[in-house]
Amino acid sequence: MVQELALEAHGLVKKFGGKRVVQGIDLAVPKGAIYGVLGPNGAGKTTTLRMLLGIIEPDEGHRTLLGNDSPREISDEVGYLPEERGLYPGMKCKDAIAFMGALRGLDWKTGRARAVELMTAAGLGHAPDMKIRKLSKGMAQLVQLLGSVVHRPRFIVLDEPFSGLDPVNQERLEALILGERDRGATILFSTHIMAHAERLCDRLCVIADGQRRFEGTVADARALLPMKVFYEPHHEGADIAATLPGDAVREADGWRFTLPEEGIEQLLVRLIEAGHGISGLSIERPGLHDAFVQIVGRKAAEEMA
Amino acid sequence: MKSTWRMIRDTLTIARRDFTAIVATPTFLLFLFAPVLMFGFGAIGGMGGAMVGKNADAKQRIYAVLGSDEARDFTATDIRLRDLFGEKSTPPELITLAPEADPAKQARTLLDQEDHDVPAVLYGPLEHPTILKRNAESSSASYLAEVAEQTARARAGGFDRPLTHPDFVRIAREGSSIGGTSATGVFAVTILFVLTLMLSGQTVGTMAEERSNKVIEILAASVRLESVFLGKLIGMFGVAMVFIAFWGGLAGLMTAFLPGEAFAKADEMRPVIGIIPFAILFLVYFTMAYLLLGAVFLGVGAQASTPREIQMLSLPITIFQMAMLGLASASVALPDQTVSLIARVFPFSSPFAMLGYAAREAAIWPHVLALGWQLLWVALSIALGARFFRIGVLKSAGAKPRWRRKRDAEIAETSV
Repeated sequence: MVQELALEAHGLVKKFGGKRVVQGIDLAVPKGAIYGVLGPNGAGKTTTLRMLLGIIEPDEGHRTLLGNDSPREISDEVGYLPEERGLYPGMKCKDAIAFMGALRGLDWKTGRARAVELMTAAGLGHAPDMKIRKLSKGMAQLVQLLGSVVHRPRFIVLDEPFSGLDPVNQERLEALILGERDRGATILFSTHIMAHAERLCDRLCVIADGQRRFEGTVADARALLPMKVFYEPHHEGADIAATLPGDAVREADGWRFTLPEEGIEQLLVRLIEAGHGISGLSIERPGLHDAFVQIVGRKAAEEMA
Repeated sequence: MKSTWRMIRDTLTIARRDFTAIVATPTFLLFLFAPVLMFGFGAIGGMGGAMVGKNADAKQRIYAVLGSDEARDFTATDIRLRDLFGEKSTPPELITLAPEADPAKQARTLLDQEDHDVPAVLYGPLEHPTILKRNAESSSASYLAEVAEQTARARAGGFDRPLTHPDFVRIAREGSSIGGTSATGVFAVTILFVLTLMLSGQTVGTMAEERSNKVIEILAASVRLESVFLGKLIGMFGVAMVFIAFWGGLAGLMTAFLPGEAFAKADEMRPVIGIIPFAILFLVYFTMAYLLLGAVFLGVGAQASTPREIQMLSLPITIFQMAMLGLASASVALPDQTVSLIARVFPFSSPFAMLGYAAREAAIWPHVLALGWQLLWVALSIALGARFFRIGVLKSAGAKPRWRRKRDAEIAETSV
């Protein structure tokens, strides 16, 4: 069955001052999915998102958003939280949200009413009449996020939505994203926090140096790396290293190594026969972070962290 | 049609936000009452100047050293002739004195008085008086000579009252005098310029707010930049109209309390096109002047990234406006010269020059043409401002036309 796509992009290229910051990126975001765009700083994530929304035009390539090849023409159907947050400090929260809705075709009255509803649901029920300048950074960020969904868009783009939020607000934001997905919206977000991507994304892509390095599900990403084993011997003899696989490294009271291709059973038999015994054993699936490091390279991943 | 409606909707959303954000602040009150400060300082300065002038005038006296009969007639003639002068050009106070033993010496002493300025002193027989004067071109001396002449004539003819009793009949002018239309043109163009100077320059910093608080990214993602620019311009124009309505209303109220004589001069100022059409054209041309200059200033100001850069722009902006005033004033002063045509055609001086034109010509169609032309330039200025903003600030070209999007899609398909 061919999956219906909310967004499709082919060969997107963007040059700034002669430098190609995005070098032919392809994307395909299924309708109703939560799609993550991951990548180190300067990878070209924000530029890609801005091209997808039509804020800037690609120098080469083509994109179709909700079936339209000119994203600006359907901007009423789209919600956007930019990386650099921006609100008018003198506005009341509910007016700021209603204003963002009005820019997308929602009438002010409905916008204000929905703003109060959304704020209450997001734990900001006390703040609709507060001026933006009185809010904490995290609260202001949440208000802006609510402004980007107040008109009930079909496609939502969130650029680094979790950065700057405390754990409580991060949890609220996750709930809000899932709620929007349940409503039927497609969500595309960029992040460098792997835990959120791991929990939320149906599919993701990794961008580095302006190029797409990976595209698939979280499971696909994790499958790029073999599973790891953590073994704790009961009686550790001097010759244990010779029995374990070559990549085994000492860690606390045990050893960590890659799960052998033939499975763990034969190795365990050998360890028991050699008298080392088994005090503890766990087989670990590699996390998205490890997969990310594998994809973009350790240096780039460390820079991002 | 759908995109036009959307553009109007987006424009009005931006305009509404900007208008309310400005009007609903205490700063707006300061802006609204700024003319009070201006008029206040002007009034204080004017009163000071008037006081200085008045004091100087009050300290001037002219003397006539004459016998009592001659002095009585001389004073009567002075009173009669003095009525011919306006309040501002009335001669210094006349004092008559009886001659002493040496009238020449007495006159010289009077001229040298230190507690008053004495520009002229008359002594000797009326038929052949001697008049001492301080300045070569002394109007006070000429006045004393004329009073002496009229007094001597009256005394020679035995007249003790005027021989004629004219009836004054006022016939109001039905049409416009040449001087009146010219004065109307100059007056209206000056008022239009002052209003535009005060109000349109404020658009220069309006995009700075969005740039500094990063809202521009939200706006750029949601609506066309042209809508953002036009919306901001309309929002600021709304603020300007509140200002004009407030002060215009106040001025209208004040005229109700002014005496009829206060409008004697205004009666002369009649535009050929008619007062009501002229008033309508004034408002329309103010709108066009505001939108034209405001669009340019908004576009230029949008490129500035710091308040200092915006401040730096205020000088060239004022110079540009002064240049437009100069061109429009030349157009009013020299209506038959080429410069007048240039001022009417050049889009940024056109509203001023066309208002001057309305004061002296009755034809309507040139205004229709001019308004169309000016509107076109408003649209062009906004489009250019948005384009430069897109290129200079957002670092992007405009949206591709449909045929290019289709071609790019085909290229992308074949590469897949």
